[in-house]
Amino acid sequence: MEHTKGKNDFTALGKRMPRTEDHRLLTGHGRYIDDIDVPGALHACFIRSPYAHASILSINSTEAEDMPGVIGIFTGKDLAEWTTSLRMAPSIEGVKPVEMTTLPIDKVRFHGDLVACIVATDRYIAEDALELVEVDYEPLDPVTNMFKAQDAGSALVDETLDTNLVSHQTFATPDVEKVMAGTDRMIETNFSEHRQTHLPIETRGIIAEWDAGREHLRIHVGTQAAHPYRTAIAGRMKLSESQVTVISPDVGGGFGQKIALYREELTVAALARHLKCAVRWREDRFENLLAASHAREDWVRTRAAVDENGKLKALSLEIVEDFGGYCFYPANYLARVIAMILSGPYKLDHYAFDVKVVLTNKCGNGPMRAPMAITSWIMEGTMDAIARDLNLDPVDVRRINMIREDEFPYQMASGETLEDINPFETMEKGLSIIGYEELRSAQAADRERGIYRGIGICNVVESTTYGSKFYKSAGIPGSGHESAWVKIEPSGAVRGAVGISATGQGYETAFAQAIAEGLGVDPLEVKIEIGNTDIAPYGMGSRGARGGTAGGGTAYLAGLEAQKKVLAIAAKMLALNTADQLCMKEGKVWRCIKDDWTETELTLADIARTAYLDPTKLPDGMEPGLEVHKAYDPPPMTYSNSSHFCQVSVNINTGEVTFDRYLIVENCGTVINPLIVEGQQHGATIMGISGTLFEHVVYDENGQNLTGSLADYLIPTAADVPELEIVHMHTPNKRTPAGIKGMAEGGVMGAIGAVSNAVSDALAPFGITIDKHPITPDALRALLRNKS
Amino acid sequence: MKPAKFTYHTPDSLEAAFQLLGEYGDEAKIIAGGQSLIPVMNLRLAQPEHLIDINAINGLSQIREEGDIITIGALSRHREIETSALLKERLPLLPEAAMRIGHLAIRNRGTIGGSLSNADPAAEWSLMAFLMDADIEITSARGTRMADITDFIQSVYTSDLSADEILTAVKFPPIAPGEGWAVCRISRRAGDFAIVSVATTICLDTSGAIENLRLCIGGMDVTPVRISHVEHAAVGQMPNEAWIKSAAEVASGIGSPESDMHASAEYRREMAAHLTAEALREALKRCGGGA
Ligand SMILES: Cc1cc2nc3c(=O)[nH]c(=O)nc-3n(C[C@H](O)[C@H](O)[C@H](O)COP(=O)(O)OP(=O)(O)OC[C@H]3O[C@@H](n4cnc5c(N)ncnc54)[C@H](O)[C@@H]3O)c2cc1C
Repeated sequence: MEHTKGKNDFTALGKRMPRTEDHRLLTGHGRYIDDIDVPGALHACFIRSPYAHASILSINSTEAEDMPGVIGIFTGKDLAEWTTSLRMAPSIEGVKPVEMTTLPIDKVRFHGDLVACIVATDRYIAEDALELVEVDYEPLDPVTNMFKAQDAGSALVDETLDTNLVSHQTFATPDVEKVMAGTDRMIETNFSEHRQTHLPIETRGIIAEWDAGREHLRIHVGTQAAHPYRTAIAGRMKLSESQVTVISPDVGGGFGQKIALYREELTVAALARHLKCAVRWREDRFENLLAASHAREDWVRTRAAVDENGKLKALSLEIVEDFGGYCFYPANYLARVIAMILSGPYKLDHYAFDVKVVLTNKCGNGPMRAPMAITSWIMEGTMDAIARDLNLDPVDVRRINMIREDEFPYQMASGETLEDINPFETMEKGLSIIGYEELRSAQAADRERGIYRGIGICNVVESTTYGSKFYKSAGIPGSGHESAWVKIEPSGAVRGAVGISATGQGYETAFAQAIAEGLGVDPLEVKIEIGNTDIAPYGMGSRGARGGTAGGGTAYLAGLEAQKKVLAIAAKMLALNTADQLCMKEGKVWRCIKDDWTETELTLADIARTAYLDPTKLPDGMEPGLEVHKAYDPPPMTYSNSSHFCQVSVNINTGEVTFDRYLIVENCGTVINPLIVEGQQHGATIMGISGTLFEHVVYDENGQNLTGSLADYLIPTAADVPELEIVHMHTPNKRTPAGIKGMAEGGVMGAIGAVSNAVSDALAPFGITIDKHPITPDALRALLRNKS
Repeated sequence: MKPAKFTYHTPDSLEAAFQLLGEYGDEAKIIAGGQSLIPVMNLRLAQPEHLIDINAINGLSQIREEGDIITIGALSRHREIETSALLKERLPLLPEAAMRIGHLAIRNRGTIGGSLSNADPAAEWSLMAFLMDADIEITSARGTRMADITDFIQSVYTSDLSADEILTAVKFPPIAPGEGWAVCRISRRAGDFAIVSVATTICLDTSGAIENLRLCIGGMDVTPVRISHVEHAAVGQMPNEAWIKSAAEVASGIGSPESDMHASAEYRREMAAHLTAEALREALKRCGGGA
């Protein structure tokens, strides 16, 4: 059999194999938090504030404490004795330091904020007791509008600050003002993105067990970042990291909601230690919608200086973001990335941004799948605005501004470097597939007949992976490295572990493929163990589309290193001086003699047996066993790119938007598993559509959250979203293992922009431009009503 | 989201159910499909001490025609109505309306009796009952009484049921052969409660003029509303596009719709007009008329 050792001759990488975890998940054998039985575990439930902003005057729980089955009711004061507070004080210019206790003590900051924790023998009793606790509140002025929150006289969400403006950062290239002042065409565009939430199917949940004899805390919790979670919880409970095990079992989705150590979880863990008994908590949907974590809600304005052909000369960006009541992340964490990657696939020399983040009496915000998603809508909406203003075709405006193939690597005005992407090709490819010119003529004919169809284009440059260097340069604390190990047991069985934790992405399959590729075995032979801090090496968790390059890349490197050791042993066993002419393939050692690759007798099992049980046969100085540990810090950023094309019809009588076509041309480099990648493309794009048209966390002016159930917080059903056509392109990243890039957030970015632009395009005859989400039938009718 | 403690009873006859109702009065609640009651119990908005499950009682789920009356037992599931051959032939609006209620799992459990007792102003069965002047059969240890739907459904979540009574059946007249009909609604997603819904039946005489019109609209007031002056004035009219437009305009002025986060009052008014026109056009097509 012919075999070449050529670099791109992958066998396991790129294999369209079904996800190995699916069998257990689809046959009801997954183990989520509620599937884990812990005999005798007590149940926690939380008293939550009915007010957006109020002082807690007193808590009277005597009657509730007397109820049979109630173990105790614990307040912020109790927790302050057992845990430290969270201080968020990164040394970043413009970001104010803030601190929060484990449970609020004196005042609550949003509707649903924590007041006390009830522990009982079951959840029913805990909720009965909840009705008997009397909390005396003194309502304070609610701060619910991020603009008014900045007024001098506004009530303060956090009294330790002198303003609700918790973060303010600016940037400008040297000549931006001069260029702006010198252009006569200045196009201003607004974008308002509304508040949303992550909505994992499985809400938050935790089981904490305290082993009083060994003084060890074991936690089962659905988390995207098991190790950082362990570091955080050990620190706040004043334990050593060696005293804590965090296990993240099967997790029903995270989308960014399961990164932080939440106050409820820390409370439950502290109570397990205090009570010397296992304590568990399952968040219900009402709590999840009100108080887990929210996302988005920002107002954006761009000012684009252009010449008469629509060529962008300079651009300024303003963002005001409503961060809610608490900082579980540095306040600049989300908006800053938007500002840094804004220009995406377009050439821009002169750029300035001003990013403000404001505290309000709402649930605290956190990163949600594509925290920077609005970037593409802003940039592509700006392109459309330029086209409208100059009466040009929106495609021509994109063409004239886009970075061409020979211009990469391209350094953006913000300092980031784009490389190994092909936005011009994905756009042109998509345009030819949809038949752009014909669509435009058909659109004109439709309009004559009173049918309003629109075409929306959104070119996405997706920032993925986030290496340590990016964090450093963005002024965000954290590391972007990842680690993995491969252990080949004496029988030849292959085990692999990666630090990153999964929340449904199919990592067990993808990482098995990556290790298998590196090692030269069948992916089905590799068993992946993730999500247990005692087993997996320290990793930075799943976020920022880092599963592919950081997770998969590190796994691949660990596999390669394991292969090196295997081949060194093989060379010795085959009495060769060097392993240069050897390779592993499907678990066997192959040898190259005069350009011909042939299979030898040696298998991985033979080599493993030797390594463990017959170490005197190993090469001189080699240590027995077959274990490899690898850590890897990826480039500051790897970029994927895609072009989304959306065609909608708007029913001008009802304001309903329906999809006629949705095409994605995406380039995410070397693909580990096309099936998984397609799943992510579907999921991300639908999530973007969902946020643009349906999902909306609604607060009234008093800060009451009106969307406490899934009857009011709407997510689309399969009937409400389009079928997606996807065309794949693959430009490997030159600087990553196997050319892997990240993906899985770009779909959100693309959908937000493409759908918005399509609706604006459909309603162009009415002079309507979408500058606000969500695009609901009611909102569209209001726009149409005002125009007629 | 755990309900407060309750005792669960499963009487297997109406008599046994009445006895329990007599015993526990206001502390008891009947449970049929549970699709409206269980969510409010989980939110502790309802905390009945006794739950009386009527699902084991025989004879409450037939769909039959006697004389010129179609009787639908209170325990008939939405799905049974949706798929009933009798109804498809004699009262096809009902299967059509049933199809739009929630999702299949909800339709498999939810009942017509539960829906009408619950008196949600956006419910399909309220709309159908108002449109067709359905009569409600109510039984208690004291005997059986009949109520007009307009007397039975009084306001939002308010129906005329005493603590000792059970809704046992709903009686509809069938539509006449050749009678046109339509059920139209708008909702945010497939499976959501309607924001506005309109149902109509139209009979034309041999000249093509309107002989009889029923027109009912939901989502505009605390109960569905029959647009009776349009109904009356329509008799003898030729159903042309101008007439449809004027009827739609009247519909938009009906009731006193409220704004909520899914639809403003203005939007409801616009949809009332839009859906009324759609429903009339569709119904006219069905009766071979045409505008
Ligand atoms: C997600 C979702 C979507 C839905 N969408 C729609 C929709 O689009 N359109 C729509 O019309 N409905 C919708 N529904 C409601 C559904 O139709 C319910 O089934 C119906 O409203 C109640 O019927 P039930 O048999 O489930 O009643 P239950 O929930 O069992 O009871 C409801 C109330 O009626 C009382 N009751 C029940 N039966 C009797 C009786 N025979 N005599 C006296 N009192 C009785 C109960 O005590 C209770 O107060 C939806 C429900 C859900 C969960």
